[in-house]
Amino acid sequence: MKPEFKLLDRREFVNFVSRSAALLGLAKVGSESATAATTSAEQTSTNAFAYDVSRLQKTDPKLIAYEEVTRWRSPRTSVRQIAIGPGDQVHVCAGHYISVFNPQGQPAAEVALTGPADSLAVASDGTIYAGLRDHVEVFDAKGQRQAVWAAPDRKSWLTGLAVGKQDVFAADSGKRVIWHFDLAGKLLGRVGEKNASQNAPGFIVPSPFLQVAIHADGLLRVNNIGRHQVEAYTFAGEFEGAWGRITTAIDGFCGCCNPIGFALLPDGRFVTAEKGLPRVKIYNHVGEFESVVAGAESFPENARACNGLNDCAHGGLDVGVDGQGRIYILDLVTSEVRVMKPRA
Amino acid sequence: MPNPPKSGQVNPVSRRQFFRNGARVAAMTGLGALTGVLATRGTAAGWVWQIDPAKCLRCGNCATHCVLEQSAVKCVQAYAQCGYCQLCTGFFAPEPNELTTAAENQLCPTSAIQRTFVEDPYYQYSIDENLCIGCGKCVEGCLRFGNGSFFLQIRHDRCLHCNECAIARVCPGEAFRRVPAQSPYLLKSVAK
Repeated sequence: MKPEFKLLDRREFVNFVSRSAALLGLAKVGSESATAATTSAEQTSTNAFAYDVSRLQKTDPKLIAYEEVTRWRSPRTSVRQIAIGPGDQVHVCAGHYISVFNPQGQPAAEVALTGPADSLAVASDGTIYAGLRDHVEVFDAKGQRQAVWAAPDRKSWLTGLAVGKQDVFAADSGKRVIWHFDLAGKLLGRVGEKNASQNAPGFIVPSPFLQVAIHADGLLRVNNIGRHQVEAYTFAGEFEGAWGRITTAIDGFCGCCNPIGFALLPDGRFVTAEKGLPRVKIYNHVGEFESVVAGAESFPENARACNGLNDCAHGGLDVGVDGQGRIYILDLVTSEVRVMKPRA
Repeated sequence: MPNPPKSGQVNPVSRRQFFRNGARVAAMTGLGALTGVLATRGTAAGWVWQIDPAKCLRCGNCATHCVLEQSAVKCVQAYAQCGYCQLCTGFFAPEPNELTTAAENQLCPTSAIQRTFVEDPYYQYSIDENLCIGCGKCVEGCLRFGNGSFFLQIRHDRCLHCNECAIARVCPGEAFRRVPAQSPYLLKSVAK
């Protein structure tokens, strides 16, 4: 006997058709979503035109001659420069403040400024010089404001300071010159402008990181960042020599402008700090590469800052040196201070 | 004389009323059509696609997803922002053999960047748009180490303005947006 099939009434038929249609639609939407997700993931993960510098971000361990002692984070953000004062007190300019720490990183004092500072120097008597964009603010060792010196030019952008026994030098990224003051703020001269009679090649400053230091040999040192060199000048502005070469290799400086910071060890050797590939290195007194203090792999957040949406103008590192030869690295992205000492 | 209305019948429209109503309908129809045309034209020609440089992730999709055989997206140079660097990381490969214009030293896969000596130590970098494929590799190199003067823009003399931008649909940074046709480029400005 043949089985009898039950005929559907109109209501059941319409119900059946609408359920089937809904299921089919759901399946199609799911399939399209999966395809879209896969396509999107493939597109973002595979870039045939990727810019790969991962090899440059790894440092040969044999070249690293320093180890970390301690580190701390500055309570203030927007850090720009670090300077070590008497008693190895660590000074950091961060936004509208100068934060002072003891060598272990404990906060000791704070000095308020009238604006954000880009540069900092501390004299042997503890006097603090803060370089704001268009003027210098001078404080005594207790943080009391002593004087304000206006920058000599309306286009000035002060980004580096150095203080000696009788002289203060201000590196001006805006005017591409080093201003020479006495301790009272009187302008004495200018150093480093392009001048054939003084053999001065002129500063190339694609980004505002021009710095100056007074070496134990009695000459000024300036990081001519666009030429990727550290140059020597007399106080009178005579060009005496330079070292540094353009390369992505570990013994040189790369990118548009490096080294963006440097400091002097007690024995006259140089500590350099870079951006793009954030790394800190040691060069001897004639500029020959010696070793690495910390490589780019030590500063992953800093390296990523130059890989984001913005250019690398505010990434990079700055360095200071204390009386014992310990190196203080200031990370301009994470606001961390790392203290490094030579490996035993 | 008009015919008198029959009993129980509605008032017929007079000839005058008929012409008056007809004229009104024609005027309204014309106005509607004109509004429609203007509205349509405003959507098509009044707005164009452009890349916001602040959101661009240099993913490479601009080179591969444009409906044109050679992408309408090109690298452009903000000369006021450029450092005119000797070692331009937008021009040179990450580890060049030497700083010359030899092809093996260049970053651009199509050699679309022209390097010209200005004076020691400055070099000018210009884009040959006939060669540029909009891959963004130079943009990444310039941003990573330099001032970020290279950036990508849709060139409207090449774009088909098809209104459904194939790159915008796959842009991971959602950098594509509609901008007024009167100011069709989103240019970088120099920090003061």
